[in-house]
Amino acid sequence: MALPLPPGLTPPEIAFLCEMELVTVIPRQRLEGLELLGGSLPPLNPPHRTAMPLWLALLLKRQRRANILPPPWLSPHSLAAILEHETDHDDTFSPPPRLPPAPSSNALPFSAPFLSHATADAAPDALPYHWLELGEMLLEAAADDFEDPDNVRKLLRGLREVRMSKLRKRVEDLQAGGGVDMKGVGGMEVSEGRAFVTGVIDNLRRIGASLEQQRRDRDREETADSDDDDMSM
Amino acid sequence: MDIDDLLAEVTADAVPQETRDLQELTRGWVAERVAPELLPWPDALMERVLERVRKQIELVEDQTGNMDPKTNFKLIIIQTELERFKFLVRSFLRARMKKVDDPMLLSPSEYQYLTAHQALLSNHYSSSFLSQFPAALQRLDDTTGGISMVDKPDEDAAIFCRALRDVGEIFVEGTDQRFEMKRGDIRVVRWSAVRTWVLSGDVELI
Repeated sequence: MALPLPPGLTPPEIAFLCEMELVTVIPRQRLEGLELLGGSLPPLNPPHRTAMPLWLALLLKRQRRANILPPPWLSPHSLAAILEHETDHDDTFSPPPRLPPAPSSNALPFSAPFLSHATADAAPDALPYHWLELGEMLLEAAADDFEDPDNVRKLLRGLREVRMSKLRKRVEDLQAGGGVDMKGVGGMEVSEGRAFVTGVIDNLRRIGASLEQQRRDRDREETADSDDDDMSM
Repeated sequence: MDIDDLLAEVTADAVPQETRDLQELTRGWVAERVAPELLPWPDALMERVLERVRKQIELVEDQTGNMDPKTNFKLIIIQTELERFKFLVRSFLRARMKKVDDPMLLSPSEYQYLTAHQALLSNHYSSSFLSQFPAALQRLDDTTGGISMVDKPDEDAAIFCRALRDVGEIFVEGTDQRFEMKRGDIRVVRWSAVRTWVLSGDVELI
């Protein structure tokens, strides 16, 4: 049956994407290596750290077979610094983490959730695309792996509020042509803001459609005219 | 080509095909869920993914019944991942089905679905009410009065997208909107203005 959903991912689907993020795990039990559909999982040997997708880390964690090492940006110190940056800069989101070197032209470029922005070696000073979902899922399933989970929770809530109010303020600059800069926005924020942001842009476009059509015709005439000029030269 | 390019090429090659396929399938699923129109059917990718899924199901069937707790736990992991893949593939197919209309972009089974579904619908309409209308009102593709009965995707719908490579200047036809898109940038923009780059793999929908 065709999917009866409007365009865009739902929050559970965003969480599903986020569960593909790699996180660092400290196993408490041995496990042989496994050939999975998304690539092979190396053997687990306690206490050697291993990177694995979040869904698997959560499965092991719930069975007390492993501990999860939260990424460095999910520490109170880092979150407080990022929150300060968010509050100081009214009009933009804090910059996303640095990207790995650009792939060559024929290689497949990777993007979130496949960028290792949630492992123990991730950058400490930037929120990756799935920051909110990842933080909440880890706090829910692995709060005991945090040093100060309550503080982390509080800072995440603060960040969410500051950033949502930025997203709402962005509405003032929306135009029929779109083009709004959203660099640094998070997955869950896109999901929440999509219906409203795209709805406003689409409706502005419909209101201005006839003006735009006139302009398109004029542009086309002008190019045609200049072509004629070239001919006469 | 500088050292960064060389390094990137080495790392890209080091990523196994399975992981690259997962990235591609995930991206394709998100794109199909977001884009206002149907995108091309990723033939080779789907063949590889479905073949692996089939093999994994066989493996699970082989090993079920094995009472060894170690094997049992491995099976739980394998099955969990298998269900995730099945969800991805299913949701991808269902998102496409909603938009199935252009035979050029369809897989053979989607084409079969399109023709069978349309035949059922038009039979149903004509037997339940259309046949009782005057002949002039029986058409399903009328365009009188300047309004077409055929729904078309809104190609200018606004979408969220992210640049995977530097794509240079994007220009929105009919407006003053011009902007530069660099790798990692996220913009809300008309689908028609970035479609070419999404199809070439330089921009992704989010």
